Amino acid sequence: MVYVKWTFLAVIAALVFSFLHYTLPQHDIVRITNTEVRRIDFGDNSIFWSGSAPGTAGGVANRDVHFIETFRPNDKPMVYRNEDTGWGWPPYFKVNTSNLQAMARDLISTKENPQWVVVTHYGWRNEYLSIYPNAVAVRPAEGPDEFIIPWFNIAVLFSLAVFAAWVWTLFARFKENRIEPLIDDPDSRAGAVLRRLFGGGGR
Amino acid sequence: MIALLRFLLMGFVVLTVVYVSVSLYSRAMRRQKLRRHWDEKIGTGDRDAFVRKGLALYDRSLRRRLILGVYIIPMIVVGTIVYIVNYT
Repeated sequence: MVYVKWTFLAVIAALVFSFLHYTLPQHDIVRITNTEVRRIDFGDNSIFWSGSAPGTAGGVANRDVHFIETFRPNDKPMVYRNEDTGWGWPPYFKVNTSNLQAMARDLISTKENPQWVVVTHYGWRNEYLSIYPNAVAVRPAEGPDEFIIPWFNIAVLFSLAVFAAWVWTLFARFKENRIEPLIDDPDSRAGAVLRRLFGGGGR
Repeated sequence: MIALLRFLLMGFVVLTVVYVSVSLYSRAMRRQKLRRHWDEKIGTGDRDAFVRKGLALYDRSLRRRLILGVYIIPMIVVGTIVYIVNYT
């Protein structure tokens, strides 16, 4: 029973972590080598692509998507998609894809004379699923090792922690005041069910 | 356009549920407080009339109107995100 409980909690924790890791913005420092448009036929990976851009037809099977091809300071490649999130999830409300593509193109540089760029993005790159992080913003970087403090993520994670602590105390109080008296009450039918589920009256 | 309407409609429904819940909770809290105040401090006269008068005052209070922040704060947050993501 103890293994079931900890496995369950570990799976929940992994889901929450990966959800936040996918959704929250991150900063990469890269140099942009190319921008392009490819037609994408959405398949098993369609959940990792945005919906149609605001104003265009929805529910289409394929669509042209902007891409930004880059290299990181360690000379490993990184490819971003550049898609509107519109009014859907995740709530970036991004509608300036074409402008962002123009800005990215403006920052293209060569290996010999690199212009380092901070790309703000969310999402994951995974070659086996053919999925790409979605670029949200680009700006020139101070250099290949500029240090960026993720204030937004700090604020969001801190608020989430406060909220979780609040829900936890609410639940603990509910358990103390409503559930434990039931378990201790030998005449209560709900108490009998709970005793059978969680093993005896002793806690 | 449909996506924006759907977003606004869903936001409105969710926030209305939150607004109604917070309103009911806040009014019940105030009622409880008034009753306790009457029991502990006053103790004479019409208890129900005291509570009713207190709730009427609460209905006109700033504190009650502040619950409208349930709608206003998310709108400000969304507006700020739209501005930062698309215009800076």
